[in-house]
Amino acid sequence: MTNRRGLALWFLLPSLLVLAGVVVYPFVFNLWISLTNWNMFHFQHPQFQGLEHYAKIARMIIEPFGRPLAEWPAALAANEFYRIFGKTFAWTAINLVFHFTLGLGAALLLNRKLPARGLYRALLILPWAMPQYISALTWRGMFNVEYGVINQLLSQIGVAPVPWFSSELWAFLAPTITNIWLGFPFVMVIALGGLQSIPQELYEAARIDGAGPVRRFFKITLPMLKPVLLPALVLGTIWTFNNLNVIWLVTDQGLPADKTHILVTYVYKAAFFYYRYGYAAAFSVFIFLVLALIVRGYDRAAKQEVY
Amino acid sequence: MKSRRTLRSRRRPRRSVFAPALLLALWTLLGGCSRTDRARSVVVWEQMDPKEQELFDEHIAQFRERHPEFAMFSIERVHYRVEDLQTQFQTAALAFGGPSLVYGPSDKIGPYSIMGLLMPIDELLPTTELARFQPETLPTLEGEVWGLPDQVGNHLTLVANLALVDSIPTDTDTWLRQLRETTIDRDGDGKPEQYGLVFNLLEPFWLVPWLGGFGGVVMDDQSRPTLNTPAMAQALVFLSDLKKSRVVPLECDYPLADTIFKEGRAAYIINGPWSWQGYRDAGLDIRLAPLPMVSSTGQWPAPLISAKCYSINRYLDPGTRECTAALLAWLTGPEVQLDLARKLGVQPGDLTAAAAPELLVDPLMMASREQIARGRLMPIVPEMRAVWDAMRPFYQSVMNGELEPAAAAAAMQAQADETIEVMHE
Repeated sequence: MTNRRGLALWFLLPSLLVLAGVVVYPFVFNLWISLTNWNMFHFQHPQFQGLEHYAKIARMIIEPFGRPLAEWPAALAANEFYRIFGKTFAWTAINLVFHFTLGLGAALLLNRKLPARGLYRALLILPWAMPQYISALTWRGMFNVEYGVINQLLSQIGVAPVPWFSSELWAFLAPTITNIWLGFPFVMVIALGGLQSIPQELYEAARIDGAGPVRRFFKITLPMLKPVLLPALVLGTIWTFNNLNVIWLVTDQGLPADKTHILVTYVYKAAFFYYRYGYAAAFSVFIFLVLALIVRGYDRAAKQEVY
Repeated sequence: MKSRRTLRSRRRPRRSVFAPALLLALWTLLGGCSRTDRARSVVVWEQMDPKEQELFDEHIAQFRERHPEFAMFSIERVHYRVEDLQTQFQTAALAFGGPSLVYGPSDKIGPYSIMGLLMPIDELLPTTELARFQPETLPTLEGEVWGLPDQVGNHLTLVANLALVDSIPTDTDTWLRQLRETTIDRDGDGKPEQYGLVFNLLEPFWLVPWLGGFGGVVMDDQSRPTLNTPAMAQALVFLSDLKKSRVVPLECDYPLADTIFKEGRAAYIINGPWSWQGYRDAGLDIRLAPLPMVSSTGQWPAPLISAKCYSINRYLDPGTRECTAALLAWLTGPEVQLDLARKLGVQPGDLTAAAAPELLVDPLMMASREQIARGRLMPIVPEMRAVWDAMRPFYQSVMNGELEPAAAAAAMQAQADETIEVMHE
């Protein structure tokens, strides 16, 4: 038995080494950086400074609450951290809602017997198959106020041109639309796989019992898809929360006037524009903790039995 | 019992073969990541335009012909986008790796040198090499030269499409009248088919020349930002009025400006040397001219002037020193610089190349030199990053009509001061 366990460990060793190299080491290294004064002026010889960066982040978080209660709303709105934090949550939530509704809807359609179903499937997967970088830059061009195809289409139906990158709201919606387009095929593929594994007998039995399509969807389809959709939800949350490319490229680094940043673009800027590696590393740890909490919530939900 | 022993005896040799085989595989895998290849490879990371990349490859081929003694070295060019190059170089340096030479505008050299990522030029080449260049074009910080230029300028200039204009005004009042005349909305839909002017409205690099035209500068001699000035407010008013008068497209970014001009649908573009050859290739009859004098101040706009330089990685592999030194000298030598000037219209940094008679009489080069003479050297200190990032959002807010120019100037200053402070924490 011991020998068999030893052999199993030998088989696991390459994966463990790779994991240690690409996950454990960078994580520990990041933690260490977050405890140092590593920046442009201390690039070669960073010094340990304890939790100073974390204290700075904590001060930013509690700053609005040090004021009288009546001033909290204004203070929260003016606080850069809460503006970015709120935008990150809005960005993640809106994207996930659309990824899952559109993805699930497309999967339900493709799960039916349709003519040229393979073609539809290929077309719907296309956004996911395209490099994110190319898609983001293409969408940016499409959102141009004067020459973008979106405003030209809108003008055909009598809608005034939308100033996509001149207003904070529209500039937030532009990358959101792009990311919805990019992200829903992933959910569609996952859901389609799940749908095909649901035994048809369940639906037949439900029909015999008089259950309509809506009832069948909520009582059979959705619960049976839960085991595949929950991991997709966890992954989708992490990917969207940490999606640097789409926001960064579509809004050309935060158009208009740096108003479209989410946490991860804020960290990227701190690290690679202002060379504040220690601070950015501490902020990354903060993002990790937020995501860990969210994933923990999903994990609890996943443990609830379907039946 | 016997059968168990037999089984064990069979298992043992298998395990003893498996373990060394695994270790061998890992050793081979990790061996591929070792530094041995770096000793035979000279790598240049660049952020060149396609035309520059093409010429670079030609120059490398010529270097190979002239230096057979370095035949055993591979010479590799790796292209990055502007910000990617910075990110990648910093990341590679953390692992004591990266390219042999890094190429880009001199303003990046300040942060690199402070971070200790670069080797001073005189550690690789004799100091006599430095005498080949105009001293002010050499990126110098704390008494050390950190890069050698293959061109100087990188400056914005007015480029006219001679199919749409036959004269180029020298003052802004006349120029603005001409811009209004050359902006044509044929179908009256409020969206002109032809514009007087196109340029990147989003980036403050295009704001700075006008700041100079109103008597302002971005930094003082002590590298402190000087953004909250009447000159900045006036420059912002000037540019937002340009947008309001609709002689430029709304939300005009660089690709859009470039495309419209190449399509022959704009009388003027404000752009740099990297773009001029592309306009000729697009079949346009272009002429360069200095940006027109600001009529209200009598001062000329002052674009920022910088050099494009090759710098040496601090972690250059010792085995490639000689080849890298020879390559650096060749790429920044008079022959290559003259070729770049002829084919791209850029100004050489090498004094011998700059004095070539053919360049002295070339109209494009003359106009470019005229603009350079009115420009200001780009500060190479890292604090410039904070200045750019402070200008960008508030400049955009003014252009979107969300902020008054004077308030934007004050906000830029406050933001720049704050960012510089946190950069030094």
